[in-house]
Amino acid sequence: MTDATFSPTDAALGGGEPPFDVREWLRLETMPHFMCPGCGHGIALRTMLWAAHDCGIDKDDLAVVCGIGCSGRIGGYIDANTFHTTHGRPLAFATGLKLARPDLTVVVVTGDGDCLAIGGNHLIHACRRNLDITCLMLNNEVYGMTGGQVSPTTSAHRITSTTQAGNFEPTFDACRLAEAAGAGFVGREVTRQAPALKSLIARAIRHHGFSFVEVMSDCTEIYGRKNELGEAPEMILGQKADMRPEVYNDAPDRPFRPNALPTGVFVERGLPEYGDSVRAHVAAVRTGGTGR
Amino acid sequence: MRPLSHDEFAGAEPHPVASGMNILVVGVGGQGVLMISKALALMAQRQGFQVKQSEVHGMAKRGGIVFSHVRFAERVWSPTIPQGEVDALIALEWAEGLRWLDHLRPGRGVFIADTRKIVPPFACRARTPGAPIAYARETPAEIVGRVAEGWALDATGIATALGDARAANTVLLGRLSAHLDYAPADWQAVIAAIVPKATREINRKAFEAGRAWIAPAMVEAPPPSARTAPAEGPATVPAGRPVVSIDPAWCKGCRICTTLCPEHCLTMQGGVAAVTAPDACTGCHVCEWLCPDFAITVRREGVLG
Amino acid sequence: MTTATLSASAPGAQTSSATLTALHGNHACALAAIAAGCRFFAGYPITPSSEIAEHLSYELPKVGGTFVQMEDEIASIAAVAGASLGGLRAMTATSGPGFSLMQENIGYAAMTEIPLVIVDVMRGGPSTGMPTRPAQGDVMQARFGSHGDRPVVALAPASVQEIYEETIRAFDIAERLRTPVTVLYDQVIAHLLESVAVPAPGAVRVIPRKWANGASGPFRPYEAGDDGVPPMVRPGDGHRSHTTGLTHAETGFPTQTPAVVDRMMRRLLGKIDANRALVERFATRATDDADVLIVAYGITARAARRAVDVLRAEGVKAGLFRPITLWPFPEDALKRAASGAKSVLVPEMNAGQLVLEIERVLGGAAPVRRLNRIDGEPIVPHQIVAAVKEIFS
Repeated sequence: MTDATFSPTDAALGGGEPPFDVREWLRLETMPHFMCPGCGHGIALRTMLWAAHDCGIDKDDLAVVCGIGCSGRIGGYIDANTFHTTHGRPLAFATGLKLARPDLTVVVVTGDGDCLAIGGNHLIHACRRNLDITCLMLNNEVYGMTGGQVSPTTSAHRITSTTQAGNFEPTFDACRLAEAAGAGFVGREVTRQAPALKSLIARAIRHHGFSFVEVMSDCTEIYGRKNELGEAPEMILGQKADMRPEVYNDAPDRPFRPNALPTGVFVERGLPEYGDSVRAHVAAVRTGGTGR
Repeated sequence: MRPLSHDEFAGAEPHPVASGMNILVVGVGGQGVLMISKALALMAQRQGFQVKQSEVHGMAKRGGIVFSHVRFAERVWSPTIPQGEVDALIALEWAEGLRWLDHLRPGRGVFIADTRKIVPPFACRARTPGAPIAYARETPAEIVGRVAEGWALDATGIATALGDARAANTVLLGRLSAHLDYAPADWQAVIAAIVPKATREINRKAFEAGRAWIAPAMVEAPPPSARTAPAEGPATVPAGRPVVSIDPAWCKGCRICTTLCPEHCLTMQGGVAAVTAPDACTGCHVCEWLCPDFAITVRREGVLG
Repeated sequence: MTTATLSASAPGAQTSSATLTALHGNHACALAAIAAGCRFFAGYPITPSSEIAEHLSYELPKVGGTFVQMEDEIASIAAVAGASLGGLRAMTATSGPGFSLMQENIGYAAMTEIPLVIVDVMRGGPSTGMPTRPAQGDVMQARFGSHGDRPVVALAPASVQEIYEETIRAFDIAERLRTPVTVLYDQVIAHLLESVAVPAPGAVRVIPRKWANGASGPFRPYEAGDDGVPPMVRPGDGHRSHTTGLTHAETGFPTQTPAVVDRMMRRLLGKIDANRALVERFATRATDDADVLIVAYGITARAARRAVDVLRAEGVKAGLFRPITLWPFPEDALKRAASGAKSVLVPEMNAGQLVLEIERVLGGAAPVRRLNRIDGEPIVPHQIVAAVKEIFS
């Protein structure tokens, strides 16, 4: 478990390093973005760009591939090569793009429905293949864009527009899924811990292989309201509570997510990267070996 | 075209609803367009009319256009209202009302609108704090004078004063009810049947307020307050002090920063965050990092960036 | 395998010499893709197209290309689109059920103007149908399979030689018009071994993709010139554009402004019409004085050609119009070929698909009869001969 709390001594305070200015990474003509007040996706977007800045990535060499949904709209605001693809398929598009262009840093931004429901098959195979892509799954436990329907990560008993009496479907633990499917890097963090989330994403981007980062985000306007989780401040404060389930599980002011999930880096392992394997095979064939 | 006087409002007689009506309700996502439509449809149904209601919604996101056609009569064929045949246009958002004005029945249609502006994100051309926004420039007085009967009221303000801004739609419904000769008790019964139990009381009050509303005078709608004005930092800053600046054009008023700032430097003013205790700032960046809308920057004085 | 040397007739082939090789249809398709500059293939096994993937998994690495077997057809077409966005010529191959799964992303590629090639080896349908039996049941799926109005190009070769030629042409059209192109052929030709004139290595003319350059100043990635085809943005070249399947303006960003939507959609659909000369291909046989015109494509056209010869020998003035480009349909060419015909016969291995288009084009100028076979067997010449004789009896 990561317990990176905010501290005035954080390096990002504007010391000697080139400071991170989020506006340098945004398409200003498209701002402000269209997300609801308090939406956690905005914080996730900042941390992602912050991580890219920390990794020293050139905007020209950054490709952001998104799916459909609230998370899918994030790419449009980033001043990089951005692709808003079809529902559930960003990992498949990114696979083609990264194989064609290993020189690009490819980041996939997807949501819990996009990644785990309609795109679940692509996720497990992207993990298994271990191509050098960073996948950020913004988990707000709900289909926000379409009006708040139940998703594969909706917590137990939550009210959504398709579970009006409370959700009775079991939920996915996306990180354990990614680990079991073979991802080289797996981690989870909440938007409340923005600097820790930034460091996690930066580490995921630097990892050579498929990295999966689950970003716990808040849907304030639909999910929060329907479930009386408070407004944006209450929800983001509730994330903190999530990280200490032993304290909060039985508390009357139960946290945002009743089934609290651990955060931090769960997996970091050096497995053969798929692109390397492909290129090694091609090289063997071309230098006269059979490649077989 | 005729200007509306105070007297004319006071003397307006309700329409006898004998042969049915075409009512168009417009707004943006989350305002309650569909609640009004539902109330109208239920009312008409209870009065023995055939009702057709068709709507466009689904982009639940902020700023998505929502509109709803409600038609009731002895017999309704088409689910949508042709241009120029709307008897009453209810706009929950000012610019949305303007967008649909041409659908009103010339010379007879009633226009009822909330004067509050919800500026869609794409209308903000702000690259720098305080840059102007692109939004309809027509004043309520101008528009109300242009239609047969026009009512431009700050329904959101009225609802806020009553205790919940979300009841603005019911305020407008109340205003519309004054144009239809159904008993207020019938309306209240319809509303009670639709809204969540906990909000019945506020909706009851909102309906009454809207029904009883008389234009004080056709004044300019409240300016979008701080949203168009740049936040002024302190005139002089001690060297090395952290400086928080807020771009009100990007702030959506989610209150994360005002709630989470450990030093209580920020407060909400006119719906957006403002720096009210700059000297207390320790430069911890929490407000900047957790602002989902990139509206806040924290910089040390003298540090470029 | 037999080889000899002869003159190549492939369009796109600019060489005086070629090697005559006996190839299966699917093998020819794979070799043609390599010759056309294809450097990326993503696919999923499905009968009767799998040999294309198998051959390319072997051939692509030899030329530095990438082969990847994806988890399903949806992922395959998505990966192909992704690779094409990255700058490679890319292709996938499938059969009816997989083609159905690909439709959404084919629409995406049409909307975002990503060049790519889909080979659909048609088998008996609907559903799982008859995986090993031939059919021509995907003609309308190729035209209308994806939702909304979109530019559609579909090519239907009738021989192994033509598979080679049309695969090369498919890449040429896809790259020049920035659009997905489908190559449609059936299980019989896919597994047919025939002599093919294969151009010498490097002899096929590969026209490079039109790239956007000049990174300075505001850039509108979907602003097209006179040909209706905007230059493509290569990631890393500095334009940092946005690609979306939402209806977008010239800027690449979503719009719902009716005038802009109308302009963009008409340009998208119009670029195919404006380039019909590049796209349309057809063949005729004895149509000048034909009383009865047979319109057939793919494997059925081979039976029809034989039927025309038999009928002519018996004194019946029969002719054959063979569209090689099915979509957009070569309307003017058909009208010319049918101008003197008293009757038109459309044999197809489906319940009647392309006949609908033929009826539309001819607009009642001549009665259009159908000959349909949906039992998994190819139509044979004597069936067509009998059908023609019935018309005149």
